Amino acid sequence: MADLGRAALVTSFLLLLYALVGGSLGAWKGRRRLAESAQNALLGSFAATVVATAVLLGALARHDFSFQYVADHTSRELPLGYTLTAFWGGQEGSLLLWLLVLSGYSVAAVLTSRRVDREVLAWVVPTLALVGTFFSLLLVFVASPFATQAAVADGAGLNPSLQNPYMAIHPPMLYLGYVGLTVPFAFAMGALLARRTDERWIVATRRWTLAAWAFLGIGQLLGAHWAYVEIGWGGFYAWDPVENAALMPWLAATAFLHSVMIQEKRGMLKVWNVLLVVLAFGLSLFGTFLTRSGIIQSIHSFTQSSIGPWFLGFICLITAGSLTLIFARLPLLRAKTRLESLVSREATFLYNNLLLVALALTILWGVVYPILSQAVTGQAATVSKPYYNFFLHTFGIPLLLLMGIGPLVAWRRASLRALGRTFLWPLAAAVIAGAALLAAGAGSSRIGVIAYTFSVFVLASIALEFARGTAARKALGGLGWAGAFSSLIARNRRRYGGYVVHASVVLLAIGITGASAYQTVRESRLKPGQSMTVAGDRLIFRGFQSRMESNHRAIRALVDVYRGDKYLGRYRPGKNQYFAEDQVSNEVSIRHDLLTGGDLFLIADQVNSDGSVDLKALQKPLVNLLWLAGFVFVGGALIALWPDAREERRLAERYAGAAVRA
Amino acid sequence: MLAVFLLYTSIAGGGTPVVRPSQLANHHGRVSLMGQVVGTPSGDAHAGGKRFRLRDVKGAGTVTVVYKGSVPDLFKTGNDVVVDGRLRNGVFVAVPNTLVTKCPSKYAPKR
Repeated sequence: MADLGRAALVTSFLLLLYALVGGSLGAWKGRRRLAESAQNALLGSFAATVVATAVLLGALARHDFSFQYVADHTSRELPLGYTLTAFWGGQEGSLLLWLLVLSGYSVAAVLTSRRVDREVLAWVVPTLALVGTFFSLLLVFVASPFATQAAVADGAGLNPSLQNPYMAIHPPMLYLGYVGLTVPFAFAMGALLARRTDERWIVATRRWTLAAWAFLGIGQLLGAHWAYVEIGWGGFYAWDPVENAALMPWLAATAFLHSVMIQEKRGMLKVWNVLLVVLAFGLSLFGTFLTRSGIIQSIHSFTQSSIGPWFLGFICLITAGSLTLIFARLPLLRAKTRLESLVSREATFLYNNLLLVALALTILWGVVYPILSQAVTGQAATVSKPYYNFFLHTFGIPLLLLMGIGPLVAWRRASLRALGRTFLWPLAAAVIAGAALLAAGAGSSRIGVIAYTFSVFVLASIALEFARGTAARKALGGLGWAGAFSSLIARNRRRYGGYVVHASVVLLAIGITGASAYQTVRESRLKPGQSMTVAGDRLIFRGFQSRMESNHRAIRALVDVYRGDKYLGRYRPGKNQYFAEDQVSNEVSIRHDLLTGGDLFLIADQVNSDGSVDLKALQKPLVNLLWLAGFVFVGGALIALWPDAREERRLAERYAGAAVRA
Repeated sequence: MLAVFLLYTSIAGGGTPVVRPSQLANHHGRVSLMGQVVGTPSGDAHAGGKRFRLRDVKGAGTVTVVYKGSVPDLFKTGNDVVVDGRLRNGVFVAVPNTLVTKCPSKYAPKR
């Protein structure tokens, strides 16, 4: 079977190589037949990759330990679900997943945009094939998932920390995001190579960018939740390089999603947009490189391997190639219009872009700082949390404010009087909220008050937008409030989907602020019967409970929680001691308060032989809004992504006209 | 944007150096110490402090570390850890709650 897998990968590699060489030649010489055969080769490579995937999944399911990969990452007693998810538990398998997702995206993108400009598509195919060739090259020659050995009796098993339901969903989501950014990149390069620098490539890839960006966002939130409930230090994001690796391309893609609107509406920022798409794709490659090369110290454990230099070389090739291409096409990328005023919708988009890119680049600086300092001074140094937090505040808080301002400012030029009228209500809401917060004692954290005041401002301006739109729709007659509201969204999915996503970002900001700026932490050593208080809740330690399970001993500290005289329940933070792995795992206990959105987070930090416990208790107000934000985010992204026949027709007419004029 | 960035980095300096136990003698400020836990840790991280020895991951230099605060699950003899602090009178005094375990480069299963 391993031979079949190897053969499938070689086939995929050869087809992709053909699509790259033949496709480039066909596009360059304008040979239609050749370009079409390259397209077919790209489709064929997907089929071959599916076969390779099936072989590996089959080997995992059969526990075929003659496959090195299967023997290294699974064992007989591992449940079937985790056995299959071990597909992306190791390096070779995750590279195969990259290739599978990439060729799947390629097929979908080519098939759905066959009616888009033929000349652009002719160049898109070899660009996609270039990226695919790189990954299949690695899989065939450097890191084959089909290496075989004399079959061993049992495999080595999966890292216990990966035996978690999130393992089934978190990595694939991130991959769908990372890899998805290849599609807009390929179309941007295709448009440049074909000298079609109008905004058609943007329209053709808008959904792909949006989908990739949404997957990346969801993937990160899932990872954050995984860390929160499982790792047990009470946080959800630690500015770890691997976490940053996913955040950076997401920020770049967010900037891109906004700035393309200016190009569509006003024909501006063409160079900026192609640069952004290169940045987003480059950062997604860099993210894969970071997680796979082990070059930077991270809490995530990954195989250190030989593929690092390959990746670095490919990233350099992509960056240099695309920058050269952009430079060569600069004369074609001149803007049709100029920025008319610094107070206009386009200007706020511009500020938002600068802030997002600045945030992404400062994070990048922090991530590569150890390497750079090692290279320059010979002494590696790291930047830590304060560095990242400083820039998150400096760039993130203005970004939050812009989310409230941007949608209300007119295109081209906004008058001061119009601004005053528009912002009256949101401003009033923000001022009242700020005063209320100060009165309630939230002034303990200045950054917290600022973040919450801005959040109220943004939510008010979003609500105002929805209310105004609905009222205008209702004034057209024939519809009730509910009908007007749903018709408003249905007719402007992009815009209102975007507002819903904005609302989710506000929820996210509120959750993060609550969990960080307003968190209360108490630690205490308690003997049975002793108690401690944390932000109004009284915790009484009742003693330990110990239970033997099949592969571990579970020790739990029994903690009764009281608020005032009211008994809120018994909670059981503790530790599991795994025998075979000789490893301890912290099992936290979390009390969710659905009414206030806060969590009481309990950690049994240390179990002492004299029967006492070192209990750590964290009150995290409003933290659940963070997870709620995830659902709102998915909703907003779905609204914006949903196919819209009316919009398609409008665009088709617009470009049919453009083609005739050209 | 650039101005903000330069201003910050010039004030806050260039990050924390990452050093091995054998390099400690040359550093007097706060550093991130990376090494492998050797010997048997003693003491109480939530009372007087946990004491353990760190050795260069590839090398021979060792130093005694005194640490207070949360101890990660993967902390045990033979694993690599990173901890912030500074050398005082030959003992590395750690900043509370900065101990992180670095997963073994490969989750090395028993073969």
